[in-house]
Order: sequence, then structure tokens, then C-alpha cells
Amino acid sequence: MRRRNIIAALVLLAFGAGYGILTTQLPVRSLPDTPGPPFFPWINTIAILALSATLLVQGLMEKVGADGPVPAPAAGRQRAIWALAVFVVYLAVLPGLGFILATAPFFAALMVLFGETRPLRVVLGALIATGILYLLFRHGFNVFLPTGVLKGIVP
Amino acid sequence: MSPDVLAGIAQASGFLVLLTTALGVFIGLTVGMIPGMTISTGIIILLPVTFVLPADISIALLLGLYVGGMTGGSFSAVLLNIPGTPSASATALDGYPMSARGEAGRALGIAITASFIGGMVSFLCLLFIAPLLADVALSFRTEDMFALVFFGITIICSFAAQSLVKGLLSGVIGLAIVTIGQDPVMGSQRFTFGQVNLIGGIHFLTAMIGLFAIPQLVSNLADTTSAARIQTKLKSVLPRLADLRAIRMPITIGSLTGAFLGILPGAGGPIAAFISYDYTRRISKRREDFGKGAVEGVAAPESANNAVTGGALIPMMTLGIPGDPVTAILIGALIIHGLAPGPLMFTERGDFAFGLIFSFFWANIFNFIIALTALRVLVKLLATPRALLMPTVAVLCVIGAFALRNNFFDVYVMLFFGLVGLAMRWLDMPVVPLLLALVLGVPLEENLRVALTSSQGDISIFFSSPISVAFLSLSALSIIWSLRAARRRRMSAQSSSKESSS
Repeated sequence: MRRRNIIAALVLLAFGAGYGILTTQLPVRSLPDTPGPPFFPWINTIAILALSATLLVQGLMEKVGADGPVPAPAAGRQRAIWALAVFVVYLAVLPGLGFILATAPFFAALMVLFGETRPLRVVLGALIATGILYLLFRHGFNVFLPTGVLKGIVP
Repeated sequence: MSPDVLAGIAQASGFLVLLTTALGVFIGLTVGMIPGMTISTGIIILLPVTFVLPADISIALLLGLYVGGMTGGSFSAVLLNIPGTPSASATALDGYPMSARGEAGRALGIAITASFIGGMVSFLCLLFIAPLLADVALSFRTEDMFALVFFGITIICSFAAQSLVKGLLSGVIGLAIVTIGQDPVMGSQRFTFGQVNLIGGIHFLTAMIGLFAIPQLVSNLADTTSAARIQTKLKSVLPRLADLRAIRMPITIGSLTGAFLGILPGAGGPIAAFISYDYTRRISKRREDFGKGAVEGVAAPESANNAVTGGALIPMMTLGIPGDPVTAILIGALIIHGLAPGPLMFTERGDFAFGLIFSFFWANIFNFIIALTALRVLVKLLATPRALLMPTVAVLCVIGAFALRNNFFDVYVMLFFGLVGLAMRWLDMPVVPLLLALVLGVPLEENLRVALTSSQGDISIFFSSPISVAFLSLSALSIIWSLRAARRRRMSAQSSSKESSS
């Protein structure tokens, strides 16, 4: 945990400093003796810097190898990283491909990552779930899910 | 009876609203009992639906889920020794030993009965206390409101499980995030970087979906342990007369503790459940049976965690202060429908406010009926394959973020907050303070600046009103209490590490 606390403190110190620099650029349009738009961000900046510095000191004073949360097993971590990668790709292609074409493979990929290995179940599960969700939200609840390249083909 | 109360009863008792309440309870019971799913995850699943449904139906659905989720958590606690929700942790202490000796049905029957009574006690508190508190809150001035919201913010300290500094940092990051967009007092833009999508700020529901659901999905993936199979066959779940006699006192303790702690922002279900369990054990004549399957050990925490629900709705409805993540989400859902919780809700939309209270009443009734009658079906749902459930949750997160404003920008913001949530989990930093700061940040800044503007920058305005002074004192007490608790934790950790090294 020591290393993590130090990393977190340094990242947050950088974030606080960046936030403070951006705060200096905020417009000061206010009556005299009254707080303007930068007032609250300044309070936040001071709090972030002070608390990050405290965390850094705490991290440096911690014993080397102090206990932290138990890490996930390597296989689980790998699956989690894959899932995140699939998620990012899904969101990148969703506006262009449309809900149905993007969601079905995404759903199938997640099913596999969650341990479903039977191909027929994966394909059917992904297609049926995507279809139900599309019909339910697009036509049941009027959420304008993107049709993408299937525009004019799917209702 | 006032016209608002009658209108509220009529609103909550409409056929569609009742049907939705029952559906919400069913979903809540299901979500609550599936390990790895929380009530917050359940609400995230339903959020996109609530955007398009009328306000009364949406809130009935979410309240049903809230109430059902609390009871559902106890099912997996009793049957699998895995609490479905943190609030059901204390129930597992005696519920699972009962299940292990073949009395799962008896334990669940007691849990359901205790949940029902706890819920009804908290309904009565909500019905009678909320309007009175709203009346008092109407006389609050800006400085009082600031002090009140500041007190709400100090709840952050109580969520700082391991490190107070990390909890506070999480909260301050949330306060920094709410400064993105239009300044609440003067309307000038801050930190928008020329992005039109940022002018309206970051919607806290988008952030919440990312912060809660994505780390939950990833953690379920990382968890390689396969879902446990239920070995127990359920016999009768109706409690025996002797059991009902035995649980009278534990239920009384649990219900009152839960309702009271629910009103206090930040205390929440798990604390209420453990306090009432501990107190019931202390006064019990059969103290030695606790932990080995005592019916009292199931009844006290279950009544307490359900009593918390109504209690937590009191500060949410009357002051606009969320006591836990679920009430924070409920505030978001109300705001989506143009209904800002707070003292004005009872004067301007009294019919809706009482409608909400009576929907809570029905949610408890349905919870009792559905849990008792559909228990066998519900227990079978514990075997729902995660391979189907979790991808559905992932897609619903995307739909939820998109449906908020029909905008892909919100979906990317959701993913960003998902990554932030993962990073926070890696750093052992609590996300609840960030969420509460997202809800309370704007009123905190607005009231602070308006009060200081009216006093021309003189901070003594915050000490000029007894209400403000009272809330600031409570805030100080809350911080001191958290600091002392943090110190105790540190000392006990140090002493245990010394013991292990010697």
C-alpha cells in the first residue's frame, strides 16, 4: 500500500496544481468583498494540495511492504483487462456501427470472459439479449438508440 | 386528513403505480440476493427506464427496489453465508448457522417478518416526522442551509473506511468535479475547455453509473470463485408462534435503532444492523446461542436494515441531504423529473411528497407478500448464470448513460468515471464520498457564496443564527468522532501487527 499511497499522492498533487493553474484563469467578475467564480475552486485547490501532501507524508512514513488489499489472481486480472479493452472498443464503434451490430459481439465477448464456453449459447445469448434490449428501449421506452449502418433496415 | 395526504394515497394506490412498486420489489429481492450485485447496481439497471416513465411510477419502482433489495440481501446471507448487500452482513452471523442445521426456511421467514415490521416502523417515522421537519426547514436562511449542507458533507468522514485522508480526498475531488460547467451564482463558465457538452456540468448519475457499476463488473470478473450451489431445501417459511414471541424484543430494538440511524446521514444499514445485533445479544438471556443460529440474531439486524430505508428518506425528502448512495441516486431520479427534494417539496408538491411516502408503505407490504410467497422461485434465481447477467448490466450501463440526454458524450464520461472508480479501488479510496460531494457540491457552493455576498464577505454570518451554529457544531462533532475512530483503527492495527511479529 505504501507505493500506491505515494503514487496516488503524487498524481493528486499534480491534479491539484493543474486545477489551481486553471483556477487562476477563471474570470473574476464580482462585487468588491464578495466571492466570485474562482472562490470555491480555490478552496478545493488548497484542500486537494493539503490532503495530497498529508497522504504523501503518510505514505513515506509507512513501513516498506505494509499490507494492502489482496490483489486479484493473475487470471482474473487478465480477464478484467480484456473486458475493459472490449468495453473501450465497443464504445468507440457504437456510434458508427449502431446499437445492434456493436452490442451483439460486445455481449458475446463478455459472456466468454465471464466463463461461458459453449459457442451456441454465446451466439444465441448475445443475439437474443441484444434484440430484447433494443426493442425494449428503442420502441418500449423511446430511447433513441443509434441504428448506425442498419439505418432504414431495422425499425 | 389534509388534501395532500389524500392525493398522495390516491397517487400511490393507482393500479399502474402499485404494479410498478411490486415489480420494483421483485427486482430488488432478486438483485439484493445475488452476490456481486448491490442495490445501487439494481437502481443503475432501472435508471434508463425511469427517465422515460412518469415521476410517480419511476419513484415507486425505485422505492420498491430499495426496500426489496434490503430484504433480498438476507437470502444469500442465510443460504450461502454471502451477504447480498453489506446491510445483510450481520444477518449471516446467525442466519447461516440456522441454514446449515436445516432451518433455512425458518431463518428466512424470520428475516422476512422482521424486515416487514422494521419497514413499517420506518414508514410511520417517515409519515409523521418528515412533514414536521420540512416545516422547520422552511424557515432556514442561506447561512443555515450552508451549515446544513456542510454537515451533510461531513458524512464523508464516516465513509472513510481505512484512511480519513483518502476519504476526504475523494470528497474534495467530487467538489472539484462539480465546479465544471456553469457557475451556480453568476452563470460564468468554468473548466469547460470550450466543450459545449461540459457547459451543463457532469451529470452525477452518469458519474455514479461509472463509479459503481464498472468496478463492480471488473471485480466480478476478477473473482474466480464459482457461484456456490444451494444445498438447502426450503421447508415452511411461515414463522412459528414461539419464534414470533422470541423476536418481539429484537425487532423492537432493531426497528427503532434502524429508523433513528437512518435519519442520521451516513450511518446506514450495516451500522444499524450490527448495533442492534450487538445490543440484542447483550440483553439476551441466551447470549451464548448468538453466532450459532439464534432467531433473535436474525430478527434484530433484519428489522434494523429495513427500518433504515424509511429513516434515510427523511433527510432526503425534507432537506435534500442524501444519507447513503441509494438516496443520492433517488435525489438524481427526482431531479430528472423536475422535482427537487427539500423543504419546498412538501409545500409546492405535497401530493407527490405524500405519494412517495405511501409508495414506500406499499413497497413494504409487497415486499412481505412477494418474499413469503415467491421465496422458492426467488431462490432459484440465485443460480442465474453470471455470464448472462453481467453483460446485460454492462449494456444497461451504456444505455443508462446515453438515455440521460441522448448523448454519447455522457457514455464516454461514464467510462471515464469507471476508470476513476477502478483506480480508487486499487488505491483503497472510498467512492461514496465522491458521490455525495457530487450531489451536495452545488448547494454547498451556492449557499456559501450567497451568504457571504449578503454579508459582504463577513464570515461571522455563519455564527449569527442558532440553526447555523447548531449544524456547524454537529459538523465539528462528526469530524472529531471520525478522527477518533480513525485513531482507534490505527492503534488497533498497530497492536495487532506487534502481536503478530512477537
